[in-house]
Order: sequence, then structure tokens, then C-alpha cells
Amino acid sequence: MSEPRTKRWVMVVDPRKCIDCKACDVACKRENKIDAKGRRETYRNWITSKGVEGVYPNLKQRFEPSQCQHCDNPPCVKVCPTSASYQTPEGLVMIDYKRCIVCASCILACPYDARYKSSQTKVIDKCTFCIHRIAEGKLPACVDTCPTKVRVFGDLNDPNSEVSRLLARHHYYVLKPEAGTKPSLFYLS
Amino acid sequence: MNTIAIQAKMINSRGDLIWALTAGVLCLVGLIGLGNYLIQGHDAYNVYRQVPWGILISTYVFFAVCCTGLCLVSALGHVFGVEAFARVGKRAIAMAIIALVSGFVVIGLEIGQPLRLVYNLLSPNLTAPIWWMGTLYGIYLAVLLTEFTLMIRGQHRYVGYASLAGFIGGVAANSNLGSVFGFLDARVWWHGPFLPVSIIITAAISGCAILILLFAHRYAREKMPADIRQAITISAKIFALLLGVLIFFQFWMVMTAIYGQVPGKRDAMMILLKGPLALSYWGFEIILGMLLPFALLLLSRGKSLGLAVVAAVSTLIGLFFMRYNTVVAGQLVPMRAEVDAVGPDGLLSYSPSLTEIAIVIGGFGLCLALYFAANRYFNLDEQGH
Repeated sequence: MSEPRTKRWVMVVDPRKCIDCKACDVACKRENKIDAKGRRETYRNWITSKGVEGVYPNLKQRFEPSQCQHCDNPPCVKVCPTSASYQTPEGLVMIDYKRCIVCASCILACPYDARYKSSQTKVIDKCTFCIHRIAEGKLPACVDTCPTKVRVFGDLNDPNSEVSRLLARHHYYVLKPEAGTKPSLFYLS
Repeated sequence: MNTIAIQAKMINSRGDLIWALTAGVLCLVGLIGLGNYLIQGHDAYNVYRQVPWGILISTYVFFAVCCTGLCLVSALGHVFGVEAFARVGKRAIAMAIIALVSGFVVIGLEIGQPLRLVYNLLSPNLTAPIWWMGTLYGIYLAVLLTEFTLMIRGQHRYVGYASLAGFIGGVAANSNLGSVFGFLDARVWWHGPFLPVSIIITAAISGCAILILLFAHRYAREKMPADIRQAITISAKIFALLLGVLIFFQFWMVMTAIYGQVPGKRDAMMILLKGPLALSYWGFEIILGMLLPFALLLLSRGKSLGLAVVAAVSTLIGLFFMRYNTVVAGQLVPMRAEVDAVGPDGLLSYSPSLTEIAIVIGGFGLCLALYFAANRYFNLDEQGH
């Protein structure tokens, strides 16, 4: 029997607070030294416009920030032939770059379009929840930089963490629940 | 008599020269593609984040399926004891090996880091269909090489066992290749048991078609022996029957896709029926690949070698496009709506780059060149046993 997880890192996203400034994208690229080289397909996180809601004059525009969902049941890990994609004990979905053969099977298995071939590293890349910052007790760069505090990051196994409290108090949803992936990104509704 | 023999030899030499030149030109085109790939890397391909699998993947599938098909047809003689097929096995197995090697070369140029395939052994992931597909095809290649060696050495006692292993390995590897697509839950167009099952039918079809072409070419200048003629006629009949099965499968695949409103599935089907891949689907996959050859074979009842050859060429072209259509249509429906690459029709797009096309041409050139060499250096005419 596997050991129960001591921590489960999750992100709670309040899309109503998102102003589409894309600071999260910039912070991510800077923190992880991602040089997009002008490629529009090189990004680890993104913001989707959900369109205009309401009736004139009471209109509002909603945005939905997203990234790798660090699924609890990750289809990308299942299909990786060389075990380059794996899950850490804390539930983070990571890539061991040196094992990646770039078959791109994981890209196609991901229902969230979270992965891409990096022209820098020549292997598959995606969000890591800034695992190197977590190890230092810091927040992921996108969480740290967000001016409106859209993202909250923390340990779901700690009942006193902010993420636990937010999810206990609010209604929330996950993206594509029908995919059965059990994402670690929770959206407040 | 001597004059006739010399003339025949000269004709054969001229024929050989044409084949060698064609193979050489195709290989040269492939080498140009390879050169560009080595300079630019994956940037030379038109695949991208949302459509990471392109024509090189579909060409690999085409070659791998042809390989399995040849092995299945060859097994009719050595495994199932159909006497007429006893003398077609060696040539079929030689071509199966060549097709698989050509496929491996093509996919080797698609995989970004082929040298790291060593991790397939060092850190295998048994839940990955690609691991099973790659491993089974690797073992399968070894089995085919063993079988061919036994055939060349005339050790017919063991050929039956090797052929049985090849038959089982071929079915296993081929259906696992189907599962590489069928296991991807996120791609509803591919997901499900249809591809792992139907790919075997298409393998047997391509096996019959290639067998007809190989022997029509072999006996283009001389009378075909009766037992080989009989094997070709039986192949043409099996070919027609399986085309009928494939058309039946195809009909229900279309109906189930368009009947419901499953997001992604219906959209992908519509891409083929009346979207950007409609010509490739109707013109090549359906008409050239299935209806025309089916009609030709029914018309001749499989007895006309000429019509069987036309049907075989037509089907192989159709199957090549079928692989392309399957691979590409499964990716053109975006995973999320707001992606830069999505066009006004709400779909992604893909067309192969010149480099990708050149590598595909090179793959066929390699296939032709290796067959030419095998034909020259081995005696592929199996004696009865």
C-alpha cells in the first residue's frame, strides 16, 4: 500500500479577479528562463477570454487563466514510453528531460493543451508549479506576481491552508471533469 | 535460343536500371530532406504545439502496417498450410523486413531524440502504448530476420515456427500500433477499440496488395508458375473480401460519428466528409483506396492479374492517404477554443512541409532500393518444400 501523501500542492484560481494583464506569462518565462524566440506556441501558462457576459449596460468580461493542471490521474504520465513524465510524491507532474524522446504522445494525451516541444531544450516542456521555488519555500512565479491575486497556491492536505479554506467556503469547478484527470487547479465559481 | 536469352537478360538489366535510377532519385530527394532536417531540426517540419504528429507519423504507420500485412499473407503458407502460398513466403518476408526498416527510418526522423530510445529499456513504462508498440515491433523485426535467415538457409523445418512467431508478433505489434491512437482518451476521434481492430484488416489488405505487385513485377517478363498464379488469385480474392469488410467498417464508423453530437468526434468526421481533408478522404481514401479496387476485383473475380495490379496500386495509394487522414483529422479539432493557430472555421490546420514530403519520398526510395538490392543479392524465389 502506498504511503499517504504528506502534501498535495494545488492552485485555487479566482477567474473573476483576472484582468488579462499576462503578468503571469511574463513572470513564468522570466523565472524559468524561457526564451520564446518569437514563437507564439511557446508558453507554460495562458489566459483564455471567456467572452462578454451580461446585458448592456451591465456587461463584464471574464478571463480564465490556465496551465498544466498537475492532474492526480495524469494521462500524460500513463502514455510516456520512457517514464520521462512522472508524478512526485506531492502530486506534481514533472518531466525528466534527459529521458524524453520527444514522441509527443504526452502532448496528444493532455486534454488541456499544456505541453509543447521546446525549441530551447529540444524536449517536451510544461509548467512545473515552479518546483524549484517551492523547495525554497517560495510561491510559484505566476502566483507571486499576480497583481489581483487571482491564484492562490498551497497544500490541500493542510486543513488550515488558504487553499483548503477557500475550497471549503466557495463553490468551485475543475476544467474538463469528464476527462477523469482529477486536476489540481480549482476554479472558484 | 541464346539470342532470346540474351535479349531477356538485356531487358531485365534495363528494367533493373530503371528501378535503380528511380530508387536513387527518390533516395536523393530524401537525403535533401534529411539535410534540411539536420540543419533546421524540427523547425523544418510543419508540426506544431497543437498538431504535433504529421505525415511522418502517418507514413511510419503505413510502412509498419504493410509489414504486418505481408507477414499475415505469408503465414497462410507456413502457418495455415495453404499449399499455394508455400512459395511466396520468402519474397513477402523480405519485403516485410524492408517495409519495417523504411518505417523505422521515417519515424526515427520524426522522434526528436531517437538516441534516447535506450530509456525504453532503462526506464520502461508498461502503461504506455508506445512502449508496447516500439518493443513489439523491435522484437518482431528480429523474428522476421530470423525467419528470413532460416528461409535463405533452406531450414524449412524451423521456418513454420518462426512464421508462427511472426504471425503472432505481427498481430500483437500491429494492434498495439492501433492502441497508440485508441488509448488517447483526450482525442475522441481516435479513442476506442476501432483502430486497434480495424488496423489488422487494413494490414491484411495491404499485404495482399503488395504480394500481387511483387509477383506481377517478378514475373513481368516470364510465365508465372501455376502455384504462384494460384496464390495470387487467392490473394486477390481475400483482398476483395477484406475490402468489403473495410467498407462495411468504414460505413459504421462514419454513421456512429455523425449520428451523435459527441464534441470532437463529429467535428473530426466532418473534417473528412466536407472539411479541409474532404478530397483526401473521398478522392483517395474512399474511391481510390476502397471502391475502385473493390469494383475491379469483383469485376474480374480476382482472375485478371492486370486488374489486380491496378487494384493493388489504387488501394496502396488509398491506404497511404487513410493513414494521413486518420492521424491529421484526429488533431485538427483544438483542445481549447482560444488558440492562435485556430482558423475562422474553428479548426487547426496542417499541411506537410517540403522537408517532410522529401523524407516521405526518401522513405519510399529506401524501400525500393532495399527491395532492389534484396532481389539482386538473395534468391527470393522459394523452392517448394
